[in-house]
Amino acid sequence: MLSRRDPKTQSEGVVAGYAQTSQRWPSQPLVRRPLTRSELSGPRDVLQRLAPVRGDLAGYGAKRALGQLIHIRARVIDEDGTPVPGAVVEIWHCNAAGKYIHPNDSNDAPADANFYGAARMVAGDSGLVELRTIKPGAYPVPDTGGWWRPPHVHFSVWGRIWLSRLVTQMFFPGDPLNDADPILQAIRDPDARNRCIAQLVPTTKGPQNALVYDYQIVVRGRGATPALA
Amino acid sequence: MKPIPTGEMTLGPFFPREFAQGANDLATEARGEVIEITGRVVQADGKALDNVVLEIWQADSRGRFDDPQFFGWGRAATDANGVYRFRTVKPGAYEGRVPHINFCILYSGLMRQLQTTMFFELAKDPVLDAVPAARRPLLVARREGTAYRFDIRLRGEGETPFFDD
Repeated sequence: MLSRRDPKTQSEGVVAGYAQTSQRWPSQPLVRRPLTRSELSGPRDVLQRLAPVRGDLAGYGAKRALGQLIHIRARVIDEDGTPVPGAVVEIWHCNAAGKYIHPNDSNDAPADANFYGAARMVAGDSGLVELRTIKPGAYPVPDTGGWWRPPHVHFSVWGRIWLSRLVTQMFFPGDPLNDADPILQAIRDPDARNRCIAQLVPTTKGPQNALVYDYQIVVRGRGATPALA
Repeated sequence: MKPIPTGEMTLGPFFPREFAQGANDLATEARGEVIEITGRVVQADGKALDNVVLEIWQADSRGRFDDPQFFGWGRAATDANGVYRFRTVKPGAYEGRVPHINFCILYSGLMRQLQTTMFFELAKDPVLDAVPAARRPLLVARREGTAYRFDIRLRGEGETPFFDD
């Protein structure tokens, strides 16, 4: 039901150039545990406890957020390639100037009164979540001497079981900052890294006036929904 | 080729605060002993961490995960003192497992989620037994009145045991 992860396809715990990782990643080896019903079951619908948040961050007309309009089509599948309908997906990102709505963001970049950069949605039958928004900007990371985060979109995803939980970031193709980003580069396997980068869909094939990006999210787990009882 | 799970990345420092609010009370309509779980999350140098996101998954008071009257999932975030709180019911045992609560920890500077499990006592349990004996007490919550205290140290002396699944 659940295969062990290949470490090459996952981020390293302590990352050069990202100082906080050496304060926070455990020094002891992670313990392998047997998997029982407790780890292989999971919340069926976290929206029992979390409210949905609108799935359009770009707005319209006078309320339109500044920036390049984009349309993200994120598909959630499992390790069998089977779509995960009902997967809950949280998405958040900064505005076109590189500023988050978060009070802790000290970046000296303007806020955008028309932009609230967070959404919570449910995947449809084909595992698809679609978000109309604006392309986030790059921004400098404080106290790092020149690290700029490339434009990226944060994703938090619930699959079918507790161990399907996934938090990751989506990147944009062709951005020169991608190759120097300690977070993206912490995944050693180049193919695994490339899968974190969305694909630009030809403009003739998407909604008008928006650049369309396809992104596939693979959550852990396979086979039918496990028995809970 | 079979799909490979997407690489995990850090939650980052700007996870919307409101996304972690109002989801830490699991005991709304459930039967069983209502308890509070609280603790402090610190990093290697002992600094308490603000805005750490903790998610839990647990059985109901009878050891079931499919109780329509009890949804065993919740989320909390630490405050500026590094303290989180959940209100829930004490989970029951079920075949082969003693009462326990699964924790998933997400944070800025944590490249991947950290999984750990809180227990109520040192007892025979296949997950607890997987941990070296000397470190097992670190997974046992301490009773303080009606609350159970479960501190989490990400790294350093007395580091919480974390699991790789």
